[in-house]
Amino acid sequence: MSKAEEEKREEVRIGVYVCHCGINIAGVVDVKAVAEYAKTLPNVVVARDYVFMCSAPGQEMIKKDIKEHKLNRVVVAACSPAMHEPTFRAVVEEAGLNPYLFEMANIREHCSWVHPDVKEVATEKAKDIVRRAVAKVTYLEPLERIRGKVVKSVLVIGGGVAGMRAALDLAARGFDVHLIERRPTLGGYAARIGYLDFNMRGADLVKKLIEEISKSPRIKVYTNAELVALEGSVGDFVAKVRRKPRFVSDACNACGECAKVCPVEVPNEYEFGLVNRKAIYLPFDYAYPRIYVIDPEACNKCGKCVEVCKPKAINLEEKEEEIEISVGAVVVAAGYRHYEPKEGELGYKKSKRVITLFQLQRLLAEDGPTKGELVIDGVRPKSIAFVSCVGSMSTTPEAATYCSRMCCSSALKDILRIKERYPDIDIYYIYKDLRTYGRDEDLYWKSIEKMVRFLRYEETPTVTPEDGGVTIELFETTVQERIRLTVDAVVLVNGMAPPEGIEELSGILKVGRGPDGFFKEAHLKLRPVEALTDGIFLAGAVTGPKNIIESVTAGSAAAAKAAALVSKDYVEVEPITSAVNEEICSGCGMCASVCPYDAISIEVKEGRRVAKVNELLCKGCGACAATCPSGAMQQRHFTDTQLRAEITALAKGVIP
Amino acid sequence: MKPVLVVGGGIAGIQAALDLADQGIKVYLVEKSPSIGGRMAQLDKTFPTLDCAACILTPKMVSVARHPNIELLTYSEVKEITGKAGDFRVKIVKKPRYVDVDKCTGCGVCMEKCPSKKIPNEFNMGLNNRTAIYIPFPQAVPLKATIDPENCLYFKGLREGKKGVCRVCERFCPAKAINFDQKPEEIELNVASIIFATGFELEDPRKREEYGYGRYANVYTHLEFERMLSATGPTGGEIVRRSDGKHPRSIAFIQCVCSRDVSTNPYCSAICCMASTKEAILAKEHMPEVDCYIFYMDLRAFGKGYQEFYERAQREFGIKYIKSRPAKIDEDPETKNLIITYEDVTTSEYKKLEVDMVVLAVGVRPVSLEKFFPVEADGFAKKKDPFLDPVASPVEGIYVVGMVGGPKDIPDSVTEASAAAMRAAIWAVKG
Repeated sequence: MSKAEEEKREEVRIGVYVCHCGINIAGVVDVKAVAEYAKTLPNVVVARDYVFMCSAPGQEMIKKDIKEHKLNRVVVAACSPAMHEPTFRAVVEEAGLNPYLFEMANIREHCSWVHPDVKEVATEKAKDIVRRAVAKVTYLEPLERIRGKVVKSVLVIGGGVAGMRAALDLAARGFDVHLIERRPTLGGYAARIGYLDFNMRGADLVKKLIEEISKSPRIKVYTNAELVALEGSVGDFVAKVRRKPRFVSDACNACGECAKVCPVEVPNEYEFGLVNRKAIYLPFDYAYPRIYVIDPEACNKCGKCVEVCKPKAINLEEKEEEIEISVGAVVVAAGYRHYEPKEGELGYKKSKRVITLFQLQRLLAEDGPTKGELVIDGVRPKSIAFVSCVGSMSTTPEAATYCSRMCCSSALKDILRIKERYPDIDIYYIYKDLRTYGRDEDLYWKSIEKMVRFLRYEETPTVTPEDGGVTIELFETTVQERIRLTVDAVVLVNGMAPPEGIEELSGILKVGRGPDGFFKEAHLKLRPVEALTDGIFLAGAVTGPKNIIESVTAGSAAAAKAAALVSKDYVEVEPITSAVNEEICSGCGMCASVCPYDAISIEVKEGRRVAKVNELLCKGCGACAATCPSGAMQQRHFTDTQLRAEITALAKGVIP
Repeated sequence: MKPVLVVGGGIAGIQAALDLADQGIKVYLVEKSPSIGGRMAQLDKTFPTLDCAACILTPKMVSVARHPNIELLTYSEVKEITGKAGDFRVKIVKKPRYVDVDKCTGCGVCMEKCPSKKIPNEFNMGLNNRTAIYIPFPQAVPLKATIDPENCLYFKGLREGKKGVCRVCERFCPAKAINFDQKPEEIELNVASIIFATGFELEDPRKREEYGYGRYANVYTHLEFERMLSATGPTGGEIVRRSDGKHPRSIAFIQCVCSRDVSTNPYCSAICCMASTKEAILAKEHMPEVDCYIFYMDLRAFGKGYQEFYERAQREFGIKYIKSRPAKIDEDPETKNLIITYEDVTTSEYKKLEVDMVVLAVGVRPVSLEKFFPVEADGFAKKKDPFLDPVASPVEGIYVVGMVGGPKDIPDSVTEASAAAMRAAIWAVKG
């Protein structure tokens, strides 16, 4: 700070308050001596000690002094700022001071707690810590909290169970919701799961959710739509959404004549390739919207469908469009992708007798290709072997390292259904580790009762399709024997993988991914449905494998976080951000390149390139200030002047 | 907007209360013990990140205390619920602390002076003692003293017809906060919806008497072991044997004690495999030369990062996993070492392993308040529609989260808490 600036400053009057914290500090540090010492420091007008500064009488003492002694800076020497900085900022604010003219000196965690055996030294250290705080508070400047507007609507990405639950909850809470889904219909994977438990079908759950959504005036659904960009920041985002052409308008009455005449057939992804569909198709009977769609990659534009369509709903020339949606928060419920075994992996695609768990679930569904009859490769099997951990737990070189969590319970639930309908089918469950955690253990008990044979492997078994059957060889670890068995069919219990397009989505949302490829939550333990980027919330399997119940739960949970954000009239962020001195900024852009939050842009102002900080995005990490070669970038509340004052004060104790 | 009631001040209740309050909804958070924090406050570190539990929990506890929309009712219990969703009437009884919380500064002088010092400390699972007037743990919220009338000499005297015994705390309290005349106080609340997050108890390990808990000095439950690991615990973070105060050279962790067991609880408790894996890693960090064995049936490493944590325990820390459910444990009467008899499934032979200490991964049992919502045969809450609305009890407007609805780890409990906050908020807005 220059001399002139120094003189311009008002007279600094500091109050120092040393807390005993019961015996936490006073038991080690001579608090009275620290307070007496504080009185000798420059600009300190008053210094006191008290048993609990955070208690009501302690707070009152500070407020009274601010008024009586005309204090304009306050230091409290007590615990960690993480504990009580907000408390004391509020105290000085209530007394009419700017809350940022306050500094905490941590003499508990940094002193008394770690030096209980050396009381005299601890007292000297406490004095050093207080001297540092007094030096810093002298140079602190008043700051104003930054406020941003809040748009009272939410974007939900993904129309599976988690996204639908989140959308419904937010709508019921009174907020407008924009629900975008990249596929032509809502429903996600749950729509394709035959049975969720003994009574409930995936279709039943999805139908209920879709019905509620179709009735909600607050939810706007965009299918065949993808997020292409997200601009703005917490509370005020602009989402750019690309709507891919459906080629069929809502005049469609789903009569199905078009599909009858369509000459192109491709594997039906809604049936996991068990059967084919046409290039113009309805994903499934209760799809929402219930409008046919043309798969542009399969369609050869022969025009036969256009000829037979009575309501004239088909337009082969439809183009994609981009729309902009203004929202305050984003819930990401992009789901997952099932692990698709490679050709030849555990016999997959070498025989129609080797299917995946997801395919089996279609075979058990009444609306599936076999109308719920268990027919594999044209026959009703008499024996089935399930092989667990396919695509998970490093079972094969292609597999992920993680456990896919839902597969053991999911497979056993299907096995019990098979056993109920076809008691004569012999079932082998070949597993690595049986993880029916929690109350799902019941499925394991029931499977044992139903005489399902459990075989355990460590070395991956070999699966060899043969004429009219499949042979599995494994080393069974509980009996320590090599076992060879031939069954009519094999079900590969395949796990979950990150959803298609997660790489692009990660870039658009600026949400990082973990080593497993799924989105990373703000904190694995305590912030499981929040992203580190403010205003973005994560629901369901997009953060890692989850079953349906857990995904629906996470949908409501993420909705709660979004509701908390958009129920506010404005967002307020800490003003401890970076600030550019435009006069000396050379616009080199080094700050922008190191900013982890993309908060800095380089703009041309009056013909010069200068850095600009988006204060709502800035987290105050200080990386830019440390990088700036000219000193133009300063971190508020941690400016060079303030830091230098602290260091000089501390060094006084060491360097004479 | 009508207020919402959250019952239970553990991590699930705390999260539910914060998520409601952050939506601008008034919340009553009722906790039966003197402080919020629950089971998580007792943990040393958490799996699989090895975050210090207190470091991530305490800021949330402080946020609860500071939140303008949360009214914290500790040392209080729900007595009666009438009415219906959108308009519940709830009777709460505030038990007397015999301490005026407005005056108490939590200075702890009373605890130093209290002569009744031999009361098993619940927070440390009885591994050390507390006084009759006490603050459960240093980070307690609220940081206020409570007199336990069962063990207070004054109240004991009164029960024996003697007046004026002791009252030492009253004499020494610098804030004049002691009030022996406090009476239970009944409060009636009108709330739109209710969230139960009452958590769990450990099952009684004595039910598996072949493992010798309570008979053998060096057999511990995992929560006891967790308190020993904690730097703020009864041993200051030293792992020592009850029998001789020495560091163990070998520890065996036994899984599924009173879980996955038809004679006690058939369900899997969902947290023990990972908790034991974490405790074994922490034991290794405390004492690198200690040998750790984990006896397990299946290793339930199902959550995010859990399988990787389990693999790291083996690779990096050399923890030995033995797939076997031990048949019994015997104690060497001289050394007080423990001899575990188990079947080695790889050879089908009976084997014995002698260790210095055994830690039982005792299963959980829900604290379910049956009179307020229906429960299943195993004690966990029934659900109205587990797929469509997984946190709703069959009673409209009443939600059940965390361990109340089934064994669950912290991330799943926290997620359920937020979910219930969302569902409960909808009633609050309607009302």
